[in-house]
Amino acid sequence: MVQKKDNLLQVSDLSTTYFTDEGEVNAVNGVSFEVGREEVFGIVGESGSGKSVTARSLIDIIQSPGEITGGKIWYRNQELAQILAGSYPEAVDGNRINIRKLPPDITKVLRGKYFSMIFQDPKESFNKSYTIGEQIAEAVEVRKRIDENLDSLGDLKYSFWDFLRDSFSIRGGFVSDESYERAIELLELVDMPDPVSRADEYPHQFSGGMLQRGMIAQALACDPDLLIADEPTTALDVTIQSQILEKLAAIRSETGMSIVLITHNLGVIARTCDYIGVMYAGELVEKGGLTDIFERSVHPYTHGLLQSDPSTTATGERLEPMPGQVPDLIDRKMPTGCNFAERCPQAMDICAEDPPVYDVDEAHETKCYLADQKQHGDRKQQRRQ
Amino acid sequence: MISNRLKQNLRSEWNQNHLAKIGAGLVAMFFLFVVFAPILSPHDPTAQNLSDALVPPFQTMEYPLGTDQLGRDMLSRLIYGARISVLVGILSIAAATAIGTTVGMLAGYNSGRLDDVMMRITDVFITIPSLMVAVTIFGLIGPLQVEIPDPFVATGIGGSSMPESFILPGGIIFALSVTSWTTFARVARSEALSVSEENYVRASKSIGSSSPHILLRHVIPNSFSSVLVLATLRIGFAILLESSLAFLGFSGAEFSWGRDIATGRDYLASAWWVASMPGFCIVFLVLALNFLGDWLRDAVDPNLNEGAN
Amino acid sequence: MSFNRFAAKRTGHGVLVLFSVVAVLFSIRFIYPGDPAILIAAPDASQEVIQSIREDMGLNEPIYVQFFDYMAGLLRGDLGTSYVTGTSVSNQIVGRLPATIELGVAATVISIALSIPFGVISATNRNNRIDSVVTISSLVGVSTPNFWLGIILVLVFPVALGILPTGGREFGLYEAFSILFTTGDVSAIITWVQHIILPAVTLGTYYTALLTRLTRNGMLEELGQLYIRASRAKGISETLILYKHALRNSLAPLLTILGLQIGRLVGGAVVIEEVFYWPGVGRLFINAIRNLDWPMVQGTLLLTALAIVGANILVDISYAVLNPEVEYQ
Repeated sequence: MVQKKDNLLQVSDLSTTYFTDEGEVNAVNGVSFEVGREEVFGIVGESGSGKSVTARSLIDIIQSPGEITGGKIWYRNQELAQILAGSYPEAVDGNRINIRKLPPDITKVLRGKYFSMIFQDPKESFNKSYTIGEQIAEAVEVRKRIDENLDSLGDLKYSFWDFLRDSFSIRGGFVSDESYERAIELLELVDMPDPVSRADEYPHQFSGGMLQRGMIAQALACDPDLLIADEPTTALDVTIQSQILEKLAAIRSETGMSIVLITHNLGVIARTCDYIGVMYAGELVEKGGLTDIFERSVHPYTHGLLQSDPSTTATGERLEPMPGQVPDLIDRKMPTGCNFAERCPQAMDICAEDPPVYDVDEAHETKCYLADQKQHGDRKQQRRQ
Repeated sequence: MISNRLKQNLRSEWNQNHLAKIGAGLVAMFFLFVVFAPILSPHDPTAQNLSDALVPPFQTMEYPLGTDQLGRDMLSRLIYGARISVLVGILSIAAATAIGTTVGMLAGYNSGRLDDVMMRITDVFITIPSLMVAVTIFGLIGPLQVEIPDPFVATGIGGSSMPESFILPGGIIFALSVTSWTTFARVARSEALSVSEENYVRASKSIGSSSPHILLRHVIPNSFSSVLVLATLRIGFAILLESSLAFLGFSGAEFSWGRDIATGRDYLASAWWVASMPGFCIVFLVLALNFLGDWLRDAVDPNLNEGAN
Repeated sequence: MSFNRFAAKRTGHGVLVLFSVVAVLFSIRFIYPGDPAILIAAPDASQEVIQSIREDMGLNEPIYVQFFDYMAGLLRGDLGTSYVTGTSVSNQIVGRLPATIELGVAATVISIALSIPFGVISATNRNNRIDSVVTISSLVGVSTPNFWLGIILVLVFPVALGILPTGGREFGLYEAFSILFTTGDVSAIITWVQHIILPAVTLGTYYTALLTRLTRNGMLEELGQLYIRASRAKGISETLILYKHALRNSLAPLLTILGLQIGRLVGGAVVIEEVFYWPGVGRLFINAIRNLDWPMVQGTLLLTALAIVGANILVDISYAVLNPEVEYQ
């Protein structure tokens, strides 16, 4: 596949494993993709496919017993690369940074200033004991402090006195007044009606849709290069879904940020994404542009998805649910060879061996033997290691 | 009553939980003390021997844990003392459970006047600390000593020099059961209340099914496990309370760990063991009961989820 | 319903409970066999003297009249007359109250100050050796008889090490501060601290053990919630997440338990006051039982009930304040 020269994010062979009592769970297994500037990259798959874990791995909020176990995550940022080159030479290559090689303090800075994430359930993603305004302002404050100390990459210290003041809601805790003002501006940006008084309200006083807007406002607080949206509309009504998606698109045009959008809903993908990755059982089984996936897909799993989703099948056409279940991701129980083979209507003998990734087209690749037109290789289609 | 799933949980928790094993072992040991006291004790715990007063522990084989100010063997007193703590604990909680669950079930199930009265009474009990309630009741009814002959000595198996009977402090047992019954009543009541609101129970009631039948078949089995957990933990509490009361001088038993601590206090500077050792016994016994209670609770409570990711 | 209505309703409920308590306590006098007049009178008093004492004490009136008198007296603050000393029960209690309050507050402060850091450390070092140590210590803490712990502390500090007194109080806090402000002499405060520290630590041990365990479990539960993950995604430091978010949300249930356990605190204080010869209401109560001085017993029990009901009301109201989601039921 042609690599774009100035892509914002390049994920290379990412693997994340959970070390549980029952065994090692390969939640993400050798996933590679790129996200360009101002692009929306969608990751689609059933639940259990590893898409959420992938999203969380990008900003490393994976907690024990999980661990990112392999791969590289390249982030292209000239300014930051220059700052880090001195102290962390192993992580810097020209104008891009391998996030995996950075210590936790620095990845924290990345989360505070360059990346943002919004989550599926807005009601659970806010702290019920603080107002929306306070929590958005927190994100603003983090960014502010990083900017103030960019050379030393800002230490976000928090003392016991800060805690006391914050607990009793006394101004002068962690969040400055400036940041709070900015939080209100952000609420206006996401079309929150009456932002000044709503900022003083608690999460339970908002509807799901409004709260999601609040979460978007919070995500924009740091003016990120990349926004990761994990099922942002799944918990919302269909009508609200549209509004939120439109808002995200608008913000993308205005700010030029990139978005990684995780969802199981093909309709959402169709509306918003430029490029798409299809995940199954921890692997990216197909990757390509919007039309590549929707009109020219190769992998049987992608076909299956398209046929079983009501939003992508024409009215009158039958919905075909896919038989079988996602395999157990515990290491010793995983199938050898292609993960999808046992459910695949087009499985061949050769599928007992794990398929390599094939180029189908300029931006389109798939991990399936069906892409290999002739078993003994056509020079045009390169076998990729 | 004990479902298969519960048995499974108990077993799996047991395997993982080392503390429960320790607890069970200690409790078993104390039980042995209670039953076989005359055989296990080297001396008569009431035998005074003033010439051997205040012998330090770990010095002679004759008095392994030393003697108190009246020359009585510490080890024997500790072993006999187990009788009071264990029996008072078990009897008072057994009574509290029996009365509490019965009253609670009836109140929750019938939900009428009885329920209101019961709630008022439990409110009153909650506002006054257990210790003060127990002390007051003891003050009102007195020690109510019950003399229980010792089976071993009677049949001559134990040493002939051991006491023939021991005194059970009935007043204390009664006082402690009064302080604990409300907890069981509340649990049984809520269990009964939720059962009585189930549709199948309403249906049964409407066709005239009798209350005792329903209570027996549904309420009791459902609440059994939580009552068991509660009881185990409350026995520990009762034992602590008994020792506090004995320490304050409200007992009626001849040997009680709490009382020995009180008398040993006067000799703290010269003979530290008299006041300290009974306390260790209390700690071990109550700790063991807490270990067991935690094990039971972990097995019974399906909501045990300590912040998994 | 509104907050004010909630507060009022809650207080009303408390008053109702208090009334039941008064009724129960009042009946104590009648449960106990024996004639109080005989107790008060001199041993060789004649029947006429005893009869006149009965008249004075109103013991010949019907029960409901006596109850009304008693209630009326309560509202005036009069808790009756002690059988033993013949003086006002209220006066004696009020005299001893500061000592018990000092002890209770000191014990609570110490336990909160210790248990929150221990609980947080334990939660953040989960499944570590530190966590095991703290957890087991907490279990031991709730299994230890407090009076024995007090005696052991006396064994260690005053007896073995020779520091700290074995008991008594000497100065109240108020007096100690007065001395400080008038003469600039710190020694009174120091003496007060020396005298209160062992009893307060002993009394606070149970609470510390309990609260540590609760803080730990509460923190662990909060740390597993989704909003914590969302906060991490914001790039906030772990310390901030731990304190401002997780601990903050763990506090409310803690407060409730604290309130519910006030009964244990008071009960414990009664015993601790005996151990350390602390001149508080607890010792007054125990002596009253020993002497069968029922008005004193009633008075102290009533006061205790009042304190506990008050504390419970406060806790309920604070919980509503801390927890914005609560619908005032």
